Amino acid sequence: MNRSWIALCCFAALAAAARGGAAPPRVELPWRDLGWEERAAAAHLLDRLAYGARPGEVDAVVARGLDVWVEEQLAAARAEPELERRLAALPALAMTSEEIQRTYPPGFALRRMAEEAGVVSQEELERALDGSQGRAALEIRARIRDWMAREGYRPERELLAQGHAAKLVSAIYSENQLREVLADFWFNHFNVSLTDPPVRQYLLGYERDAIRPHSTGRFRDLLGATAKHPAMLLYLDNFQSVAAPGQPTTLAREVDRARERGASGAMRSGALGRGAARAAPRGAEVQRRLEERRRQRPDRPQGLNENYARELLELHTLGVDGGYTQADVVEVARAFTGWTLLPAGRLGEVGRQGLERAGRAGGLGFERQGDFLFRADAHDAGEKRVLGARLPAGRGLEDGEQVLDLLAAHPATARHLAAKLAARFVADEPPASLVDRLAATFETSRGDLEQVLRALLESPEFWAPEARAAKIKSPFEVAVSALRALGAEVDNPIPTLEWIARMGQPLYAYAAPTGYPDRAEAWVNTGSLLTRMNFGLELAAGRIGGVRFAAATVAGRGEPESARAALERIAGALLPGRALAPTLEQLEPLLGEPEMARRVAERNPAGAADPVGAIDLLGDEPMARSSRPSGSRRGRAVAEDPALADLFPPPVAMAGAGEPPSALAGIVGLVLGSPEFQRR
Amino acid sequence: MWDRRIFLKSTGLALLSFGAGPSFLARAAAASTTVDRKRTLVALFQRGAMDALAALPPLPPGAGGELERLRPRLAMSAARAAGEERLIDLGIGFALHPALAPLEPLFRGGELAAVHAVGSPDPTRSHFDAQDYMETGTPGRKGTPTGWLNRVCGELGHDASPFRAVALSGTLPRSLYGPEPAVAVARLEEFAVRLPGSVSASRVAGRGFEALYQRTAAEMLQTTGQEAFEAISILSAAELARYRPAAGASYPRSPLGDALRQIAQLIKSDVGLEVAFAESGGWDTHVAQGTARGSFARRADDLARAIAAFWTDLGERRRDVVLMTMTEFGRTVRENGSGGTDHGHGSALFLLGTEVAGGRVHGVLPGLDERVLHEGRDLPVTTDFRAVFAEVAARHLGVNEVGAIFPGWSGPRPALFRA
Repeated sequence: MNRSWIALCCFAALAAAARGGAAPPRVELPWRDLGWEERAAAAHLLDRLAYGARPGEVDAVVARGLDVWVEEQLAAARAEPELERRLAALPALAMTSEEIQRTYPPGFALRRMAEEAGVVSQEELERALDGSQGRAALEIRARIRDWMAREGYRPERELLAQGHAAKLVSAIYSENQLREVLADFWFNHFNVSLTDPPVRQYLLGYERDAIRPHSTGRFRDLLGATAKHPAMLLYLDNFQSVAAPGQPTTLAREVDRARERGASGAMRSGALGRGAARAAPRGAEVQRRLEERRRQRPDRPQGLNENYARELLELHTLGVDGGYTQADVVEVARAFTGWTLLPAGRLGEVGRQGLERAGRAGGLGFERQGDFLFRADAHDAGEKRVLGARLPAGRGLEDGEQVLDLLAAHPATARHLAAKLAARFVADEPPASLVDRLAATFETSRGDLEQVLRALLESPEFWAPEARAAKIKSPFEVAVSALRALGAEVDNPIPTLEWIARMGQPLYAYAAPTGYPDRAEAWVNTGSLLTRMNFGLELAAGRIGGVRFAAATVAGRGEPESARAALERIAGALLPGRALAPTLEQLEPLLGEPEMARRVAERNPAGAADPVGAIDLLGDEPMARSSRPSGSRRGRAVAEDPALADLFPPPVAMAGAGEPPSALAGIVGLVLGSPEFQRR
Repeated sequence: MWDRRIFLKSTGLALLSFGAGPSFLARAAAASTTVDRKRTLVALFQRGAMDALAALPPLPPGAGGELERLRPRLAMSAARAAGEERLIDLGIGFALHPALAPLEPLFRGGELAAVHAVGSPDPTRSHFDAQDYMETGTPGRKGTPTGWLNRVCGELGHDASPFRAVALSGTLPRSLYGPEPAVAVARLEEFAVRLPGSVSASRVAGRGFEALYQRTAAEMLQTTGQEAFEAISILSAAELARYRPAAGASYPRSPLGDALRQIAQLIKSDVGLEVAFAESGGWDTHVAQGTARGSFARRADDLARAIAAFWTDLGERRRDVVLMTMTEFGRTVRENGSGGTDHGHGSALFLLGTEVAGGRVHGVLPGLDERVLHEGRDLPVTTDFRAVFAEVAARHLGVNEVGAIFPGWSGPRPALFRA
């Protein structure tokens, strides 16, 4: 639980090294037999298993051997000091959920604490929070800031900013690209969302502890880790799913067992609160009193909540046509009653005391695993039937575990996951033959995700000619692949993240449990397509804050002999292994624009330093002052947020707003915004 | 570009099918049997849960002074002759909050109606859950992948313009999640190829991209690219800059004012807008909610002025448009210890349109007695929000497939439009 992300990466690397060592690659990639040219095959791998190629990376993969590179990616075994250095600047990544809650309390908790500490009154808080810029409001806000600094509190948005930064930075700089791609895939499969405020405190831990350690392991482990994580328990409401009134609970059974064992003395010591302390009551009596108490608190959970159960079946495992019924949903919900979390800090105080009392009485069926808590008093201990299997009465935590076993081993789950993996790595509508094969591998390997990936990479479908560039990149993939292709240095990730959101993919913020749809139609509409083009232009022109790169190096070493040659070099560098003719054909006419030729003559007297000055096709003309500078207003506000300024250096763009983009930047921008670059 | 616009306006859509204009408009025109202007539904989400009893309080004797007893610091009177402290008595047992004064003429003119005690059958008091349930149209179900407005688009039964569904917001709202194309755009100016600071660079880049997308082999990128460039030609930056709201339409300078102004622009540009989405935040008034002034009044003022300006701005296009407000739940009937109200259950919504059965408060508010309140503390929900949404979809957009829009629900629809 307390492992840092970095430590985890190192651990994975060591373990993999120990496992794999210098053993010859086992994976057999059929690219040669299927008629691929080696560079194109390497580029295909970098498009699918990575977030695109960095400068020179296609040749590097060819030199290393495609199969060796794939083995390294499967093992996530490459050292990555560069990434570790960058992640070390994000302290929240290494924190336990308790440390996170102590350091980055949610807004409402901060307000309550500030009030309790006598720093502000309720009326002052209201005035400070309604956005007014009056002197009084500013003074109150300053007072709160000072108090937070004294107490060591940081705003919650800084926590989220670190999660966002970690995702972007890891995707750009990780040497173990497949690990990053899979973290994104599995997070999205088991989606939780920061649009649900309580989830925010657990978001980083969810990816770090529930998703990442299992993404090439056994699916059952991944499933179990998500099922027990507070983020999922909160997001899909299972934390408040309790046995329907009148159903026998695990606690009632445990109380009776304890009586039989003659341990009633322990219960008199107060394990069950005042009601139970008078005499050692029967389980049914204890339960009746607890239910009575619950009824008097209508704000407390009163019965089953089916949301997790339904999504577990429909989204996480069997799939929508997986052959389950509404009755199965209810039975699964019953099996997961009592699966909840033990919050850190004050909220969890009552729970911890209760656990201690239960402990003194021999546990009474309660169980704590980190932040996860199994509440015996909320678990429906009646018999259940799930997908034809019988879950006997009188049990506790094992009900849910058995359901997860059943689901992880179910053929419908194998098919559902096979189809999703094939859609991510091959095509929106993957060939049925591939889905069949992956599903079979999933079943025979008992849900070994690495084996499924191997089967995928060895499949003729992955290497079918029509699979090349068949996928439309998500906005995140567009941005990351562009930054990688440029070899960019990202000092402050926030302006880039704002662009990703504007292109349609605010990270960790898809509200629905389905996760972002993995289909071209979901990403491409007129608005988002224009935003992609503008992203390319602004990035290339150095107008995106916090990002640096040397445009001149994109065209490679040495002076291109002509404008056409420069165009070819840039397109070749940004679209390695692709057919360039369509892109070149459309862009070449721009080189000869008469208006541009005039600009070239004006701006580039013979012998100018710019080696590609002859193609200065993007001239400048200061725009009216009314036009907005780069980045949305919101984007700038966030980027200049003083709370985040400590974390990231202020975003500095290479080119000032008034400076014209160079010709080179213009070509780079057009290629980054081109249809070819939107594909992978 | 201006010339082309004039041409479009003066010739109408009928000619577009002969290839004179954007192909998406031509397709849309060809697909509909009559060459009719599109009807538009504007959905306005008030995030944070609006206090219906502040917006639209019942008046004595109907409520028997109950509200003043339960809300000693918040309740206002219509009778008290204390200048602006006074509620606006609508003469039908309800009043409007004074900050909603810009809505009064619309109400009295018979175009604005309200539905009281409306909400979700799900009892959650979580903003996230309740908004999610309202936007998916499936109370109690988290997993519904699509939003109700997206499903409405799917039932419209004709070809879509790329501007069919537009949210004037930074990210796509849950209401529009789904397979039907929907655009989220914070400002229409973003609908352009533009490199800030350089007009000619933007122009050349635009030409370059247009050529690239015209010729790409990726069919979907080609089609969408073409539509995008057609859209740009309609919403050219010059036109946007030239836009002036109709005389007398004075939008507040606020995110909601901006959003509704741009929606009016889209409607008047005939780009095929059928479902528009805007939102207004800050309704979560836990502390110092205030009376004629205060946090509620500020939100109400912005809402009312934005809606009134929008309606004026639309001019004769009002007959094509219905605007509906919605909010995730209501607030406690009793005021809390901080001069505010907490999360409740039933709320109210407004419905504006020339064919709306306006000048009335629809729905049933069974009184404020503790015995009729939800859990003894909140306005009950006597009208399921789906009944209202379904009525609007059916009567205004002609979408009658209630089962497709609200799966698992079938209930009576209140008559909210004139016969």
